[in-house]
Amino acid sequence: MLNISIVNIVCTIINLLILYFVFKKFLFGRVDEILAKRQEEVDSATATADKAIAEAMAQKSMYEEKISLADEEKETILADIKKQGYDEYDRIVTDARKKGDQIVKEARHKAMAEAERAKEEYAGQMRDMVIDAASKIAATDRDKADDYKLYDKFINEAKAVKNE
Amino acid sequence: MKEMLNELLMEDKTLIHMPFGGGYFDIYASVVVSWIILAVVIVLVLILTKDLKVHNISKRQAALESVVMFLRNLISTIIGEEAGGYTDYIVTVLVFIGLCNMVGLFGFTPPTMDLNVTIALSVMSIVLVEAAGIMKKGAGGWLKSFAHPMAVIAPMNVLELVIRPLSLCMRLFGNILGATVIMELIKHVVPVILPAALSLYFDLFDGAIQAYVFCFLTSLYIKEAVE
Repeated sequence: MLNISIVNIVCTIINLLILYFVFKKFLFGRVDEILAKRQEEVDSATATADKAIAEAMAQKSMYEEKISLADEEKETILADIKKQGYDEYDRIVTDARKKGDQIVKEARHKAMAEAERAKEEYAGQMRDMVIDAASKIAATDRDKADDYKLYDKFINEAKAVKNE
Repeated sequence: MKEMLNELLMEDKTLIHMPFGGGYFDIYASVVVSWIILAVVIVLVLILTKDLKVHNISKRQAALESVVMFLRNLISTIIGEEAGGYTDYIVTVLVFIGLCNMVGLFGFTPPTMDLNVTIALSVMSIVLVEAAGIMKKGAGGWLKSFAHPMAVIAPMNVLELVIRPLSLCMRLFGNILGATVIMELIKHVVPVILPAALSLYFDLFDGAIQAYVFCFLTSLYIKEAVE
């Protein structure tokens, strides 16, 4: 039991080394290979996911930019349209005012002409009346009282004509 | 009882007489048993590691992976990162000693009950420890490390070269021998039931503990050597 034999010690050492190399090559080697592959896959999957996220973010910012551009465009279009609308409104109002002015002017013109005409008519009537009165006065033999009566009559007639 | 112990301790361990040159050299039973263990383990490893897959792993592969990871973690936490390269060897030794201690369950004499096997294991351990020190520090640094932390204790450090493997070898040998002797005695006193229950302790638990202690100390020495 206690005797020591170099041959057996060497045999055991050789056994141990054989076991070590078998373990190293087959057990640890194969298991490590699988673990490394798995790690690689996980890494590549993570990398792909990161890339996809980065792409998505880039697209998102691009779309946000586009949307903000669209907003700006909308504003300018709205502003243009408003401006056009105001211009049109101004134009229409100005036209209307011009037309109105013209109508008023024409009306005034017409009224003035009418008034002129009426005045001339009055003048004509007045002239006729005066001639009539003068001829009546001339035709009648008269005194002062008659004159006064005549004047009053003339004035009354003239008033009546005016009030017609 | 004395006869029984005599028979157990002084039995002729020779199993094979090999003719060599003019004489013979003897191969002991312990070596033959460890060949059997080796053969079984190698076949088992080859079967278990056949077509491993990355995805959709079988239960066999899952068990294998977790056992390998568990053993490696067990050792690498002791040995530290710096000497991580020696983990695989220590795990191999752990498996080998563990199986050698437990082979009593199958009716073999544990190879670790033979002093020659434990001497071989501890020689390998001390060679590995010193080799790790030399590789890390270079031959000069390794020699200087004997005078660390003080020159006065250099003789102690040199003595450790012998004491460490001796204690490793004797601890393992003594524990397994003691356990086997106690088991034999118990078997003589109570032949049924009790030996089965105690064999759980002496063969399985003590065997595993002793394997762990051997590897724990070797790892610790290696860690110390590369620091």
